[in-house]
Amino acid sequence: MGVTRRQLLWAGAGIGAAGALAACSSGTGEPRNAAPTGAAGEQPRTGGTLKVGALGRASAITRDPHGTQANESDYLIISLLYDTLAIPGDKTNTAPRLAASWKPSDDLKTWRFTLADGAKFHDDTPVTADDVVWSLKRLRNTPAGKSRLPGIQPEGIKAEDAKTVVLVSDYPNAELPLLTRLTTFVLKKDTKDDAIAGAPGTGPFKLDWYRDGNARLVRNDDWYGGKPPLDAIEVRIFESPQAMANALLAGQIDLASNVGAVAARTAEARKDVQILRRPNDMAMPIVMRTADGPFADARVREALKLAVDRDAMVKQVLSGYGSVANDILGTGDPAFARDIPQRKRDLDKARQLLADAGFDTGKTYDLITTEDIAGLAESATLFATQAREAGVKINVVKQESKVFWDATWLKAPLYTSYWGTNDSVVFLSSKTMVSDSGMNETGWNEPAFDETYRKAMATSDTTERAKLLHQLQEIEYAKSGYLLWGMADGIDLAGSAVRGLPKLPGYGRVQLEKAWLAR
Amino acid sequence: MTPTPTPAGGATAPPAGRLHRLLPALGRAGVLAVRRLGLLVTLLAAAFAAVALLPGDAANATSERGETTTDTAARRAALGLDRPLAERFWDWMTGLPTGDLGTTAHGQPVTSVLAGPLPNTLLLGGLALAASLLGALALGGWAALRPGGRLDRTIAVLATAAFALPEFVLSIGLLLVFSLWTGWLPAVTLTGADGAPASWDMLALPALALALPQIGWNTRIARAALADQAALPHVRAAVLDGLPRYRILTHHMLPGALPAVAIATATSAGMLLGGAVVVETLFNYPGIGNVLAGAIADRDTPLVAGVVAATGAAISTLLLCADLIRERVLGERP
Repeated sequence: MGVTRRQLLWAGAGIGAAGALAACSSGTGEPRNAAPTGAAGEQPRTGGTLKVGALGRASAITRDPHGTQANESDYLIISLLYDTLAIPGDKTNTAPRLAASWKPSDDLKTWRFTLADGAKFHDDTPVTADDVVWSLKRLRNTPAGKSRLPGIQPEGIKAEDAKTVVLVSDYPNAELPLLTRLTTFVLKKDTKDDAIAGAPGTGPFKLDWYRDGNARLVRNDDWYGGKPPLDAIEVRIFESPQAMANALLAGQIDLASNVGAVAARTAEARKDVQILRRPNDMAMPIVMRTADGPFADARVREALKLAVDRDAMVKQVLSGYGSVANDILGTGDPAFARDIPQRKRDLDKARQLLADAGFDTGKTYDLITTEDIAGLAESATLFATQAREAGVKINVVKQESKVFWDATWLKAPLYTSYWGTNDSVVFLSSKTMVSDSGMNETGWNEPAFDETYRKAMATSDTTERAKLLHQLQEIEYAKSGYLLWGMADGIDLAGSAVRGLPKLPGYGRVQLEKAWLAR
Repeated sequence: MTPTPTPAGGATAPPAGRLHRLLPALGRAGVLAVRRLGLLVTLLAAAFAAVALLPGDAANATSERGETTTDTAARRAALGLDRPLAERFWDWMTGLPTGDLGTTAHGQPVTSVLAGPLPNTLLLGGLALAASLLGALALGGWAALRPGGRLDRTIAVLATAAFALPEFVLSIGLLLVFSLWTGWLPAVTLTGADGAPASWDMLALPALALALPQIGWNTRIARAALADQAALPHVRAAVLDGLPRYRILTHHMLPGALPAVAIATATSAGMLLGGAVVVETLFNYPGIGNVLAGAIADRDTPLVAGVVAATGAAISTLLLCADLIRERVLGERP
């Protein structure tokens, strides 16, 4: 009860006001504990338990920080308990976490990461470079390890001294720290596989209990990143976004993480619910195969890029919860080329380009899609209607997810794809557009692009590299097989008292260490 | 629930002096049990075959983007998916008596994945089943007291309507009325530290959503069975004797109607567990329905089979009880 009263007093005091003032005013006015939604400059208050709902399936639960985290709920729990070397950032797309700083060698192949001062595990033992090396090697040796740490061999992960970890890349990589943002969770050296579930982490919260995908986490007072305001976070797993939205509307949870546009529409009428939009969360490009087939001619691809009505796509497919995009992936990157003119619908030019290229408009082309994520199949259907206005007949084929990833992905001439990490032009270039990339979705082989990419990755001078990255995006804009019509927002719903929630897209949604409750 | 096992227990434990009658009864019960067991094994084989018929397998269903085909092939071998279906089925079946249900595609023992959700689903299903049995007997009996009356007809219409409503629609309706509009009951179930629902009132909406259609169905069965009984000479005689209507219902009509009601209730158990997939998802109930839906999406054969075995065993037990009741009531006059 005492805590509650003090909190109410703080609310009455307002921004940064002295406690004495609060004590004086407390006798008279009603304490305002429902501060205006998202008011800036409020003093974070300590205490309270934040109840968070996150999506996940009971059958796919994993507690291994280096395992396949298909569940958002699992990833959330893991990233509150364990720290990665770096995290997605706001002003720079890679921000320090367990690694306080990093420095490359002149040839950009060897990178030295210095661990944060005072970093220690939940059992009070300090984090050493050996722990980090062991964890990164464990990650590298998982089935997907090669694509999680591309260009880094297990032997290339070494400890230099107690606080310094060295990563050696096979090739110059100016943005290597980018690779350490997502799954480089650090455990204690020699943690046994059967002890992973309860293994101590270094993160802002400690495990109180865990059960079937649900968990209660309590504040780590000794966290090197600063004491988190919340006493505890309770994570609840939800199979369906609808149930999660209902739980929030009924006041059973305080935050429905990544609940989606449909829930946001339902909640629009509710004054006591905050709708939080994290822009650039999800890319849903239409993929046109460049290597061969009907879309191999760059003019045909440009015609389709001119045929799409981007505003209508965002409005209808994303219920308006998104933004128009410009056929360049990595829209959330600080290095994203905003100055390249926005491509707009131009049906005449599209028809002209199709005629120039000798495109067969008599035929009907299959656009293959899935229902993996909300809006994907709808985007295909609407695009097909729009393309018809430019004279291209498209038939939408909905495939079962497993069939799609087996038979269509990386192979078919025209399909939809989606990417959840969109804050790096380099990340997506390296994964999907460089000709020898493992997930070259469009079958692209553009020497100019490859050359510019390699040059950029081998350039340590930041202005020079920025120039190269801009060139890279110009080439992508002009010729790539990606028709990126828009970007979906990540949408969270929150109760009116929740503050300090993450604003970053994608995996940035798990950064709850600064969240607090104004009640 | 309670009336069901009692007559069955009576059938297996008669006085020792009637051993010559006990043996055939035991034999019949044994035959019934073997038949149910055979059905369960067939069901499991069908589950294995059905998952195999779906496109893709567990190795690529649980793979990450970026895994090479060799990685996937390695996991396919590790999961034993490269072996013939019959062999995998046999391995799984032979592990069953020892309580080994195999390992999921995500590398967890099936038993540990089911340990939390299965009791939750049995609790929810049990509550719903009890509610549907009691509701059906009460409504069916009430309607049968005045055959053809306004009450009888009203109950008949409502029962049909309840049964015709899909669980999905019913659940949303209940959710809107009892939670989002009035705030009387929690909208979803949140799990506590012990893996069970954090509070008891969280069971109310999902149990109701499951029970209402079954109450509708079983009410019609109970009403029809009681009507059949009403036409029998001994009931007519009781009516002519001027016995109280309520007593005629409980002592003269109900015992004869019991086999039909028992079978209907046992059948309901199957429907309830089927409906649980939808209802559990809508109410976020931490049960086996969620596990099953995910397991099918992941082509996770051992987990699917584990769910089928657990729920199949529960339903088979109920069906066996129903068989025994019928045997007990009708056995002597085939």
